[in-house]
This record gives sequence, structure tokens and C-alpha cells, in this order.
Amino acid sequence: MSVEAATHARPGEGEAVNGTALPLVVEHVAKGYDLNGQVVPVIADLSLTLRKGEIVSLVGPSGCGKTTLLNTLCGLLAPDAGRIRWHGRQVVGQPQNVGYMLQKDLLFPWRTALANTMLGLEIRGVPAAEAEDRSRAMLDQLGLHGFADHYPATLSGGMRQRVALARTLVNDPDVLLLDEPFAALDFQTKLLIESDMVSLVRKGGRSMLLITHDIEEAVSIADRVIVLTRRPTAVKAAYEIELGSDRADVISLRENPDFSRYVRRIWADLDVAIQ
Amino acid sequence: MTTDIGTSMVDASKPAGSVPSPVARAKWKRLRFGIAVLATQVLVLAALLVVWERATPKGSPAAFMFGSPSAIAGFLIQMAQDGSLWRDAAVTGMETLLGFFMGNLVGTLLGLSLWYSRFVSRVVEPFVIALGSIPIIALAPIVIIWFGTGLVSKVAMSTLSVVIVALVTSYKGAVGADGDQIYLMKTLGASKFQIFRKLVIPASLTDIFAGLKLTVGFALIGAIVGEFMSSSEGLGHAIFKAGSLYIIPKVFAALVVTIALALVLTWLVGKIERLLMPWRRQV
Ligand SMILES: Nc1ncnc2c1ncn2[C@@H]1O[C@H](COP(=O)(O)OP(=O)(O)OP(=O)(O)O)[C@@H](O)[C@H]1O
Ligand SMILES: [Mg+2]
Repeated sequence: MSVEAATHARPGEGEAVNGTALPLVVEHVAKGYDLNGQVVPVIADLSLTLRKGEIVSLVGPSGCGKTTLLNTLCGLLAPDAGRIRWHGRQVVGQPQNVGYMLQKDLLFPWRTALANTMLGLEIRGVPAAEAEDRSRAMLDQLGLHGFADHYPATLSGGMRQRVALARTLVNDPDVLLLDEPFAALDFQTKLLIESDMVSLVRKGGRSMLLITHDIEEAVSIADRVIVLTRRPTAVKAAYEIELGSDRADVISLRENPDFSRYVRRIWADLDVAIQ
Repeated sequence: MTTDIGTSMVDASKPAGSVPSPVARAKWKRLRFGIAVLATQVLVLAALLVVWERATPKGSPAAFMFGSPSAIAGFLIQMAQDGSLWRDAAVTGMETLLGFFMGNLVGTLLGLSLWYSRFVSRVVEPFVIALGSIPIIALAPIVIIWFGTGLVSKVAMSTLSVVIVALVTSYKGAVGADGDQIYLMKTLGASKFQIFRKLVIPASLTDIFAGLKLTVGFALIGAIVGEFMSSSEGLGHAIFKAGSLYIIPKVFAALVVTIALALVLTWLVGKIERLLMPWRRQV
């Protein structure tokens, strides 16, 4: 198998799937920040698509605008140009059924692990009993059985990020947008949470867009890796990752010889981008 | 895939046999620290009192000018026996409590609600700064004209001393809510009111309670200044009367009661704080 930058380097082609609305289509989005009256362009002209059940990783040099892109996709920032379509429709404000997770766990210190997990259900007015049952089940699934009544201050960093993941997944999102969610964790903890997360996402048929600095993480998790240029950013290259059928086992994947070839190839791309 | 990360931790915290558990040891350590702090405080106070007592022998000019701990204690006993101590403390305590409550209620509500509108908070800002810079004492004569010489004018003075501080601290708490947490709430579909209720208010509690502790003193000062201006009872009245008669130990005796009142109120606020913010207890 040859590891070549796929023709998907020109994104936008993926949209042409007949009829069925793709979870996310981004067309020619541009975004800049206003700094002392001068507009600093951050996203130049960026297009990408996310298919149903697909996991896409975004890698790019530090400060290139990945977080800005994510916040723009969720409607937290308004794009200066271009179109963002969720399930075929442009939305005003925040898209529905989208889970959002950052490197910071953002847990509320005044809420227990359970109450933090219930936050989204509570906001949507799900009855308390149902919300609690679902949240407890989600915490159990993520290995936090017995910690539901703990306040965040009494949990380890890995456990806190698991609670944040539970808070995201319990809302049953179609699409997850993640911004280096596990970057602050040690390697082993990170691998364990990741493999739990990936199997839950794949089992639920969800789509996921994962921003990361870690190319190995990107290759081991994603079906497709998109490399971004430095600021003002655009898509530099995209790679379809083909590493066999059992993609849920992100740990043993790393022993696949193709794995390191993808990693080296993307590294090279990123290096060029940094210069 | 369920990696049970918890089990080893739970087992480790169980006490093993007769060996004191780490939890019990930590508790004992905290207790010992508390005792050491208290003992040192008592020692410092005792040393001060001894030096004061030695420097002001009975009948000396120094005793007249500065009072002496024994004379102050004498007045305290006398005031307790003739009932004036309890009466004055109750009057001032009531004025302070009412002013504290109203000032904080109004100030906190205004401060939190300013979070709602950047426009309104910008408009209001210079007015708040202007009001905050007025020495409340300067208002006392007007307050007495408006509210008379009874309880209401003292409560008004107390309220005025508190309200701006409460407004500023609670507003600071509200705008201090983490921007990423607000983003999170938005992506979860929260309305502005839900963000306010579920994030902004709880996130402000720490600042609000800092304000509450600070304003105990301000409420007390407001009430006492009000009593200075015109009154027939209360600790401020007692201080003013004893001062104008040059009975300095009695001034100090009334001050001791004032301090005790402040300590009790501060302690109460701390109790309520721990009750309302249980997540901080475990840390
Ligand atoms: N609110 C803002 N106002 C002005 N400039 C900003 C703002 N937020 C980000 N920037 C700038 O935009 C650029 C992109 O920032 P962004 O956080 O999106 O990058 P990133 O790719 O996520 O970086 P990292 O890899 O370090 O997380 C940076 O140069 C940053 O300084
Ligand atoms: Mg970032």
C-alpha cells in the first residue's frame, strides 16, 4: 500500500454524495480577528467535509487557527466569509446535537461528577430522573463507577477528563468537535481514554472532528487526517488512513507498519508548513 | 473497554487494622494546626494585655488617657449587670443586620444583573465609581433629615455603607465567569438565563462571600456613625457618651462589645458560606 497524499487534498469533493446531507460541510470559510483596528486573517479559505460515522483529525502548526476554526464551526464565532452547513442546513447560533470538548475539562467545581454530566440534559429539560439514570450509566461506561458523587476537586486529571467526555456523550451528539481534549494527560491515561472514546463513537455511528498536535494520535484514531498550513490557514493535504478493519483498537494499531509511514509522511508535510 | 480506574484508590483509603488511616492522620494534623494557631493568638493577646496593664497603673495619667484592661473589664461587668451592654448590643446588632442584609441584597442583585447587559454596565460604571467614592459619613446629616433619628436612619446608613461594595464584588464575580465555560453552555443549547443561573451565579459565589465578609465591618461602621449623629441607645451612642465624658475605659469597653459583634457576624457568614458551597469543604 502506498501512502500518498490523496486527491482529497482538494476538499469539497466529498459533498457530492447524492442527496444524503453530510453532517458537516464547510465551504470557503474565512475568519480574521480585529486587532487594534487591523484585521489579522487567521483562516484564509478553508473547506472540508465530515461524513457520517467518520473520524477526521486536524493537525496544523501551533497558532495556525485550529481553535478559531472549531469555535467558528460551532457558531461561537461568526465567519467573515463562506458557508457552514450542518446536515445540509446553515444554522443561526449553535448547531444542535454537536458535542464540544476542549483541553480544559471545564467542569463546574460546584457540581458533582454526576451533576456535571447531567448539565446538557438539564438544559434541554430532560426529566431529572431520566437525566440521572442516563448520566450514571454513562459514567459507569467510562469507568467512573462509584465516583458520581465526587466533586471535581477530588478527582484526578484523567478522571476529570472522563467526566467531561461523559458530559459530552450523554447528550447523544451526532458530531463531536474536540480541541486537543487529552493533551494535558500522561501518555497511558490518554491512550486508555482515547480507546474508550473511539469505541463509543464508532459504536454509536457518530462523526468526530479531532484537533490535535499529536500526529500519532491523529493517525491511530482517524479515518482521514487533514493537514493545515500555518496562519492564515487553509487545507494543505489530506490523507485517507487505511489501517485494516478493527479501527477501535487504537493501541495495537500503532504496531502496524503502515502506521509509522503515515506518521512520517504527515510529519514531513507539517514541517514544510511550519517553515 | 470499561477500565475501572477507581478500584485501587478506593482500597487504599480503607483503614488497615489498628494502624491509623491516612484520613484520620490528616484530620489530626489539621486539628493540631488549628490548636497551634489559636494558642498563639491567645498568647499574643495576653502579652498585649499584660504590657498595657503594666504601663497604666491605677490612678496614673496614662490610665486616664489610655484606660487599662482591668478598668475596661470592670466597665464590661458593670454594663452587663445593669443590662445596658445587652440592650446597646442588641440595638446596634439589629441595625447592622438589617443594613447588612438590605445592602447586600440590593447590591448583589444589581451587581449580578449588570452581567446581563454590557451596555447597561458601561453606562452605569462612572456612576458606581462616583457613588463609591462618597464618604458615607458625609451623608449622615442628610440621612437623618430624610429618615429621622430612629432605627430607620441607622439602617439606611448601614445599607449605604454596604451596597456599593456588594455591587462591585458581585459584578466582578459575575464577569469573572470563564469564557470557555460560557461557550460550553452555549454548545449545550443553554439560553442566556440558563447560563446566568447555572454558571454565572454559582461562579460568583466566591466573590459574593468575600464581599459579605468585607461588608460586615462596613455595615457596623454605618450603624455606629448613624448613632454618633443622633441617638439614645446603641453601642455608638455608648461610645459617644463615654467619650464626651472622658471615661476612656468605658469607650474601650463599648468597643470590645462592637468587636465581639463583628466577630459573631463574620463567623455566621462563614458558616453560611460553608453551607452554601459544600464543594469547597472536601478540598
Ligand atoms: N480572541 C482573539 N483575538 C485576537 N486574536 C486571536 C484571538 N484568539 C486567537 N487569536 C489569534 O489567532 C491565531 C490563531 O489562534 P488559535 O487559538 O485558533 O490557534 P490554534 O491553532 O488553536 O493554536 P494552538 O495550536 O496553540 O492551540 C493566533 O495567532 C492567535 O494569537
Ligand atoms: Mg488551540
